[in-house]
Amino acid sequence: MAQPLAKKDDDRDDEADYSPFMGIEKGAVLQEARVFNDPQLDARRCSQVITKLLYLLNQGETFTKVEATEVFFSVTKLFQSRDLGLRRMVYLIIKELSPSADEVIIVTSSLMKDMNSKTDMYRANAIRVLCRITDGTLLTQIERYLKQAIVDKNPVVASAALVSGIHLLQTNPEIVKRWSNEVQEAVQSRAALVQFHALALLHQIRQNDRLAVSKLVTSLTRGSVRSPLAQCLLIRYTSQVIRESGNNTQSGERPFYDFLESCLRHKSEMVIFEAAKAITDLNGVTTRELTPAITVLQLFLSSSKPVLRFAAVRTLNKVAMTHPMAVTNCNIDMESLISDQNRSIATLAITTLLKTGNESSVDRLMKQITNFMSDIADEFKIVVVEAIRSLCLKFPLKYRSLMNFLSNILREEGGFDYKKAIVDSIVILIRDIPDAKESGLLHLCEFIEDCEFTYLSTQILHFIGIEGPKTLDPSKYIRYIYNRVHLENATVRASAVSTLAKFGASVDALKPRIFVLLRRCLFDSDDEVRDRATLYLSTLGGDLENDEDVRDFLFGSLDTPLANLESSLKNYVPSEVAFDIRLVPKEVKSQPLTEKKAQGKKPTGLGAPPSAPPSTVDSYERQLLSIPEFANFGKLFKSSEPVELTEAETEYAVNVVKHIFDTHVVFQYNCTNTIPEQLLEDVFVIVDASEAEEFSQVFSKPVRSLPYDSPGQTFVAFEKPEGLPTTGKFSNTLKFIVKEVDPTSGEAEDDGVEDEYQLEDLDVVAADYILRVGVSNFRNAWESIDPDSERVDEYGLGPRESLSEAVNTVINLLGMQPCEGTEVVPPNSRSHTCLLSGVFIGGVKVLVRLSFGLDGAKDVAMKLSVRSDDVSVSDAIHEIVASG
Amino acid sequence: MGLWEAFLNWLRSLFFKQEMELSLIGLQNAGKTSLVNVVATGGYSEDMIPTVGFNMRKVTKGNVTIKLWDLGGQPRFRSMWERYCRAVSAIVYVVDAADPDNLSISRSELHDLLSKPSLSGIPLLVLGNKIDKAGALSKQALTDQMDLKSITDREVCCFMISCKNSTNIDSVIDWLVKHSKSKS
Repeated sequence: MAQPLAKKDDDRDDEADYSPFMGIEKGAVLQEARVFNDPQLDARRCSQVITKLLYLLNQGETFTKVEATEVFFSVTKLFQSRDLGLRRMVYLIIKELSPSADEVIIVTSSLMKDMNSKTDMYRANAIRVLCRITDGTLLTQIERYLKQAIVDKNPVVASAALVSGIHLLQTNPEIVKRWSNEVQEAVQSRAALVQFHALALLHQIRQNDRLAVSKLVTSLTRGSVRSPLAQCLLIRYTSQVIRESGNNTQSGERPFYDFLESCLRHKSEMVIFEAAKAITDLNGVTTRELTPAITVLQLFLSSSKPVLRFAAVRTLNKVAMTHPMAVTNCNIDMESLISDQNRSIATLAITTLLKTGNESSVDRLMKQITNFMSDIADEFKIVVVEAIRSLCLKFPLKYRSLMNFLSNILREEGGFDYKKAIVDSIVILIRDIPDAKESGLLHLCEFIEDCEFTYLSTQILHFIGIEGPKTLDPSKYIRYIYNRVHLENATVRASAVSTLAKFGASVDALKPRIFVLLRRCLFDSDDEVRDRATLYLSTLGGDLENDEDVRDFLFGSLDTPLANLESSLKNYVPSEVAFDIRLVPKEVKSQPLTEKKAQGKKPTGLGAPPSAPPSTVDSYERQLLSIPEFANFGKLFKSSEPVELTEAETEYAVNVVKHIFDTHVVFQYNCTNTIPEQLLEDVFVIVDASEAEEFSQVFSKPVRSLPYDSPGQTFVAFEKPEGLPTTGKFSNTLKFIVKEVDPTSGEAEDDGVEDEYQLEDLDVVAADYILRVGVSNFRNAWESIDPDSERVDEYGLGPRESLSEAVNTVINLLGMQPCEGTEVVPPNSRSHTCLLSGVFIGGVKVLVRLSFGLDGAKDVAMKLSVRSDDVSVSDAIHEIVASG
Repeated sequence: MGLWEAFLNWLRSLFFKQEMELSLIGLQNAGKTSLVNVVATGGYSEDMIPTVGFNMRKVTKGNVTIKLWDLGGQPRFRSMWERYCRAVSAIVYVVDAADPDNLSISRSELHDLLSKPSLSGIPLLVLGNKIDKAGALSKQALTDQMDLKSITDREVCCFMISCKNSTNIDSVIDWLVKHSKSKS
């Protein structure tokens, strides 16, 4: 490791070999920090000590409260020094230590003095620190100085004030918003950085006012922005304005497109790229609009700078998903990138090529990838595997060569995530391409012959158990499965036993042979394996009559959430009473919002359940009918999605499911207690139905006890007029008895306190009475209903954001199922027809044809035609729309 | 420290400036920052804003450089006074002599502070400010009300001053300069 610096100075040769930060240790540095209190300050030494402290903080070292306070107060003494370098370090350490608010206030006066000092460096840094530590009351005191600083002629000072404004906007928006005039002046600054920061702040101030943002963009796109960074920001804001303005201009010409296009000829590469990216991200971009952007990206592909090549290929990769044809021009440049030294670029290039290539080039590319696979890291291999998966779904005829490729790489070395990606891909191919099933299953069987990952083995065995029996010759899989029983660890052996049993249950011809194999498993050394073998032997060996039950048992899924089962089992105390799985709550815990979002990415492949889970209505119905009071309500018509009645992260989380019966409505309140120190008892909801006159409460079922973090359900039932879509508003209050829980022993106190908790209001709306049921052929269905039942009327919807917004509003209002993809409004269209179908309460089929038209600038008019077997239902639909 | 170095220090003290460090405390609106301004520049202004935190000033009088820690007097800063009084040459405690209502608070804050072991033996100078106002206490009354006689573990001195009219500021500076020599 040659150190060029060391060569310059021979004396320091020895020291230069290791980092100046080596061997820095917290205790010693804290001792050294005492020099801050010396009557005669050594500025150089103090700076060094602060450097060490900063180093420690950046390494993740934490100081105790006492240590931090001690260091902070001795640092404040350093304000006596006039040394520029030391003062700078003082600013830094104050920001990094960020002592508690009641202590840090001690430096305010000193900082205010520095803020008005003659030294620009003092002013800029003091502003940054002061804004970091300030609170609202203090901010009003220093506001005047900050406004001056924004328009200061020194760019460092102005930038400091602007950046502080951006931070303060989070905590004190109303104050920062008063600075608009100064910020606007700063946008015109000649200094690049000031312009950049000013533009960012100005946009943040106005971001909630769409018109103001639009005006800002309009005035700036006329070309007063010099800084490339500011220009990039402007491009981003412009594309935001384009996105929000919709595509409703008369000429079809997109507003601001000319501006974006002109940016493609900017002298800064950063701006060119930003503009190209903005164009490719445009909503419903046309090929004509795309071409200039693709051209500049193509130039970047052969740039000497890796970062440009990477940026270009990554953008093209994204474009390739939506506009593969537009990218084909770049294919030649991209092929040369396959051998790029930077593996990220190479991987993106090849996956892009896979997306744009036609069927004939697939084989050639596959050959190239095979050479290249061995040089890249696992994470890139996963990218390639995913590209191949989508390619395979695009060209099902090519499945043979792609499947071969997958099985080849499956045999090679690789980590768990990589192997999992491959296996997932194969599973998806098997599911979506029937022809690929046999070969795919055999590849998987071969893989588990030599698989080091227990998780993958068990998942594959499970999958074979489901798909294997459906093949032409199920018997050939038995050998692979039974080998596992001999060669693997206990977990895999147990799942192999289950898989064998599934073959036995599904294929009668194999049953006797399976019996022989299962009997051998009875001598296994592991309890679980023997238990399973015994269980399956007796299940399969039973009477033929309950064949259906056997299948249900083997293939059905567990309707109890595993998390609930786990917590119930943990709470179960061994006693005379056996554990009863029926007592486990079936309600899934409401999860924090973030987790829900993550779930949106549905796991494909092995992770996803192979059979659809039992529909929620079924499980709700079973659950409700198990409560005797609801047994006579008849058949459950519809259960709504859970509606949250509390904010996220409150003490008690409550959501409600509306169950609609013919003559009754049942509210199921799912309550979760999120406070570990509390036990709630006799929990119920008081419902005030004064704004829902046609409903009368008939029954309320409380939760007897609601311990921490285990959900419970309380029910309230209402009677309502039969068959009518009665609507109303209900206000809810949660009532309960709180008992303190000793956190150490986990035992609750005997005495509780009555308490209540206000919940949000709940509406029963018309959409609750309509089931989303689709029809496959809307036209046939429409014509099969008596045209005399048709009711037509026209409605003006007033000004709307866009046509698609109007369409969605009506769909949500009616709660019906859009048919034939008509809920999607093509961009730029002036009119649209949407088809809806559903079942109205009482089991009456309803079909709706909605014709939307744009009238004038934004006014939307709608023609609503309804056909139904029951004329009164058609009228009811009109009534819903009229009142909505 | 070798003999040579001790000799050098002695030589330095003959030719060069001496330094002393003072901390200036007292309730809010007692006139601490005004005092600093009067001592430093001789100027006085009616229009002062409360000190948020501390002001650090260096003042040179004769051959003595005085470092002044002028601390905020609002309640939220009082707990932090002690940190800035450690190892100073003298503590200057300013009292508004024309505000009898707050005298008892001022007294208890002073005695609380002086009870801290880290501050034992540090000379104390109590200044009764604003004697230009009608109804200001006399020196004797202030000494009694502040219970200064009970402080026996250190040197205590009391002056009645007016920053507005610069009354007695000279004696304050003389006292301070005298005390810079005792400490070295």
